Amino acid sequence: MLEFRAVDTFYGDLHVLKSVDYRIEAGEIVCLLGGNASGKSTTMKAIMGTVTPRRGEILYEDRPLAGVSTAERVRRGIAPVLEARRLFPRMTVYENLEMGAYTRRRGLEFEQDLARVLGLFPHVEERLRQIAGTLSGGEQQMVAIGRALMARPKLLCMDEPSMGLSPAYVEQVFDIIREINRQGTTIFMVEQNANMALQIADRAYVLQTGQVVLSGPAAELRENEMIREAYLGEIKAP
Amino acid sequence: MAKIGKLPPGTERRARQWRMRMPLALPGRFFGSRNHARALIATIAIAAVIFPLIHRNDADIDSMANALAFAALALGLNIVVGFAGLLDLGYAAFFAIGAYAYGILSSWQLQPEWTSLWEPFQWLGLVAHNHTSAGDFVHFQVSFWLMLPVSAAIAAFCGILFGAPTLRLKGDYLAIVTLGFGEIVPIVVRNWPSLTNGAMGLNGVAPPQLFGFDFGVSATPYYYVGVALVALLILVSLRLRDSRIGRAWMAIREDEIAAEAMGVNLVRLKLLAFACGAAFAGATGTLYIAKLQTATPDMFMFPVSVMILVMVVFGGLGSVWGVVVGALILQVLQSWVLEDLSGWLHALGRLVDIGWLQHVELASSIELIFGIILVFMMLYRRQGLIPATRPQPALNLAEQTAQVSRGGFASLAASPAARPEAPSPLLEISGLSVRFGGLLALHSVDLTVPEHAVVAVIGPNGSGKSTLFNAVTGLVRASQGTIGFAGARLDRLRPDRVLDRGIARTFQNIRLFPNLSVLDNVMIGMHARLDTGTVGSLLRLPAARREEEAARERALEILALFGNRLLPRAEHPAASLSYANRRRTEIARALASRPKLLLLDEPTAGMNPAETLELAEQIRSLNRNGLPILLIEHKLDVVVSLADNVVVLDHGEKIAEGAPDLVRRDQQVIRAYLGRTAAFA
Amino acid sequence: MSEYGVLLQQVINGLSLGAMYALLALGFTLVYGILELINFAHFNVFMVSSFIGMWTLEAVGISGQSHVLTGLALAGVLALAFAVTMLAGGVLGVAIERFSLRPLRKVRGPAAMITTIGVSYILFNVILLGVGAESKNYPNPMPVVRWQFGQVTLELREVLIWGITAVLMVALHLFVHRTRLGKAMRATAQDAEAAQMMGVDVDRVIVTAFFVGSALAGAAALIFGLYYNFTSFIIGYTAGLRAFTAAVLGGIGSVGGAMVGGLLIGLIESLGGQLIAVRWTDVIIFSILILVLVFVPSGLFGRATPTKS
Repeated sequence: MLEFRAVDTFYGDLHVLKSVDYRIEAGEIVCLLGGNASGKSTTMKAIMGTVTPRRGEILYEDRPLAGVSTAERVRRGIAPVLEARRLFPRMTVYENLEMGAYTRRRGLEFEQDLARVLGLFPHVEERLRQIAGTLSGGEQQMVAIGRALMARPKLLCMDEPSMGLSPAYVEQVFDIIREINRQGTTIFMVEQNANMALQIADRAYVLQTGQVVLSGPAAELRENEMIREAYLGEIKAP
Repeated sequence: MAKIGKLPPGTERRARQWRMRMPLALPGRFFGSRNHARALIATIAIAAVIFPLIHRNDADIDSMANALAFAALALGLNIVVGFAGLLDLGYAAFFAIGAYAYGILSSWQLQPEWTSLWEPFQWLGLVAHNHTSAGDFVHFQVSFWLMLPVSAAIAAFCGILFGAPTLRLKGDYLAIVTLGFGEIVPIVVRNWPSLTNGAMGLNGVAPPQLFGFDFGVSATPYYYVGVALVALLILVSLRLRDSRIGRAWMAIREDEIAAEAMGVNLVRLKLLAFACGAAFAGATGTLYIAKLQTATPDMFMFPVSVMILVMVVFGGLGSVWGVVVGALILQVLQSWVLEDLSGWLHALGRLVDIGWLQHVELASSIELIFGIILVFMMLYRRQGLIPATRPQPALNLAEQTAQVSRGGFASLAASPAARPEAPSPLLEISGLSVRFGGLLALHSVDLTVPEHAVVAVIGPNGSGKSTLFNAVTGLVRASQGTIGFAGARLDRLRPDRVLDRGIARTFQNIRLFPNLSVLDNVMIGMHARLDTGTVGSLLRLPAARREEEAARERALEILALFGNRLLPRAEHPAASLSYANRRRTEIARALASRPKLLLLDEPTAGMNPAETLELAEQIRSLNRNGLPILLIEHKLDVVVSLADNVVVLDHGEKIAEGAPDLVRRDQQVIRAYLGRTAAFA
Repeated sequence: MSEYGVLLQQVINGLSLGAMYALLALGFTLVYGILELINFAHFNVFMVSSFIGMWTLEAVGISGQSHVLTGLALAGVLALAFAVTMLAGGVLGVAIERFSLRPLRKVRGPAAMITTIGVSYILFNVILLGVGAESKNYPNPMPVVRWQFGQVTLELREVLIWGITAVLMVALHLFVHRTRLGKAMRATAQDAEAAQMMGVDVDRVIVTAFFVGSALAGAAALIFGLYYNFTSFIIGYTAGLRAFTAAVLGGIGSVGGAMVGGLLIGLIESLGGQLIAVRWTDVIIFSILILVLVFVPSGLFGRATPTKS
């Protein structure tokens, strides 16, 4: 469904992503792991279109995304759950969910999606009229995921969903991710917490200073010593 | 105390070679040689002096005198806006203050009753005893020549007064507040008739006298005073620009936070900028009013402030010659060109029989032209007519493809300082907590950096490492805990005081001064170690000159430590360097401050393995020479090779500490990086 | 009239003025909320719009205050005048953004603000040179109707101001809270990058903010003319100063703050003029501006200090 082919991105003259290849098939949960400054967030931005690769291609459903605006990408079915949630702090929960569906027409589908989101996140319904900025981190994360789901995406891109959350909430979030995937949404998740991510992922890539140093089925990677080294910045990239 | 120690052979020679190739401070930089520049200046000076003698039209001389006055004003605003980056939209207020100071003290406006208290002033010649039929009054007749510096001083004092509230404001808000002051002054003047004669304006302002010669109403003597004033102010501007003070101002303009971290006292320097700019305007005000022999509040309203701003923007923000040229051009435009142009348009209008062309008066549309110039310059040529920094020639092919040389670090290890068995702690952090609103970024962290040691701080994203640095260097305030350095407390110090004590740092996302040259960036690191103040810079005393020379030498030497990576680019703006070179420049800048402890925040980020290795070796050499280092680093191989001790942070708490090898096998550390396993595993 | 009555009368005046300042401040604050840009040109868009309103009224045959209309004719003419003036203001604002501000959006520093000063100057001087420095008598088709309530007099023009301002504010509120584009505007003001990730066209949002803000300035401009029966090239400066202070006092970027700030400044101006002296009102307003910026930069309702430096 999504493919990166030899993608290079730069930040000024800093080479961030170095000829990376990813492949995400429909229906999978694929995780992108890596330590600090590895290029994970840049990957997300490249998918959403706020960063343009200098070389290489990003293909979505076999069509190149070059030149496609962010709004259009959302319309085609890619929705982001942003790092640190980034809800609109002074809008209500309901309005935040509405913004998720910004690119779509109102109507029956909107109501259906809203119902689905409320079903997935039971506590959100009570808080629909609450100002988003007053929610706790965990609650905000639920709303952020819900907001992305309101776009009825085929591919959900999540940027560090566990960051800043208490362990209880982290488990809830990962449960929900599994459920969303079971309901048919492909998930691409950037995550620093490798252990948790590998427990729900089908496959994973490990990134270090902009290069993919490990990849494969999650089951295999879970046993692999080299992940530790990659995270602690010890592997020399091939 | 870090000693750079003996440099490898050839470094000094190389440094000297680069120094001789460097362009000069004068417009020599535009003309390729000092002599050409001197010739040009001499020509202009001669032309300026003989101008009234060959062109006898008094009105034109008067126009030129006005133009010179505005050139002086532009120079003053250039210090505030161009050098220090403080957008002052109410500059005309200082012009007004200087004008009215002279006007009131040399006219018949104030006539208090005579008492014997006034006698000493009469003896000094400042006042006269006026006997009239209505009684005895004081008549102020302070000399113009005395008032020139006194007005400057009064205006400078007001500059400090107006500047003080703005110090902490961000750029836009600062502009608004200064605009406010700029408006209040003429309104107060207008509504205080007893002091200023209100809207009708002061009259009877006495013209200057020189050895009995009364300046009278002819424009020529004022013109010459104007020339002298502008020449003086140009000299002052140039001296300040090329001094430690000017560098500090520009550092503030480029990046306040980095400037403060490098030892620049923001409050003092911002107020100094306001004061200097105001002083220029104050002196000019006195001259202007003396020539006009009257002053009304309308002469100092917002449009005047804008006009001066337009001149500065047009000429080039920060460019001394630029703003003078800009001011002269715009004034000449206003007085001569537009009138002539109007005449042509009238003739054209008669020719083609277009009514409004025959009546258009371009001179009154000067403000419209100013507006257009402002918009045009901002959109298409922000650097102005004569940019402050000229584009540097790109490196020639030989320089670009030269084999990268590693510089002098290798040989620094030749004479390692003896490492004591039990080094005493240099930096002691105890129970440090930092709270941002509801978030606890650091929780009760203990950390020690002994002398001669390298201590590394590692941890996953968001664990508080940079916050730790910020707390030590004074950028954020600790909520709890103590920070001790060399026996003294660091807790509540401002960043520039921390630098002064001997702690220098680099930043995670590199805070260089982008428009300043690499060399200037490094020299700002020395700001706290140099002593030359304003007076020294202005007078270019031999001690000041020697200090500046020595500082420059030392900066070049530090750049030479990185081989030929930075030296060839010493005059290039820092923004034009590659990422890796910018990192090196930042480290060089920190080294320039002779730190006793160096804080490096992810120094190898963004570097390829070869560069990483090189920098790690350089860091090791620095440490071997006696410089203790506290290091934030992600690449564990770097940490292993460098660090004596490693501290691991996670979620603001210290979770492990010890030798690198032990730490990286520590289960807790691994879990912190890789994340907790889920309960449903 | 007793002193109490005089004071009450001034309160009424102050509220009328305040309504007008609030409209002007609103437009200014809308743009600041999204771009964190102080748009000096806004206040001369106001001034230019007032002239456009004047010419519109003259075009339909109204001149001076003697052409009085009533009933449907009055409503029709006013509606036309408001529509044209607001549209013209909006278009002017959009043009300014498109040609002089958009190219500078990525430039850090005061470049954009300085450009708005330049644009402001251009507008100011074009009008000054075009129509001259004398105040122009404003065509006003409204009849002078007064109602007496005890010690105070209420005039039709004041009721008109309050009415129109109320309608516009309600309309604005509905726009930003009930329409898709309005919500996109609020979202962009709170987190532009996140909004972009939701598919919001940030450029379009900015253009909308400029259009709406400038249209409100246009409305305020026509109100000014109808209230004071004059206009001149200087009103951008005089009214602008007050509206600007109102926006800052209420908290730049806060819509509710602009409304409250406007009313407060209106009251301060009219009561200050009564209790102190008219000639000192400028100083008072400027002092409030400076004091708020120095001590409480976020104003009454604003957020924390801006992120841009």
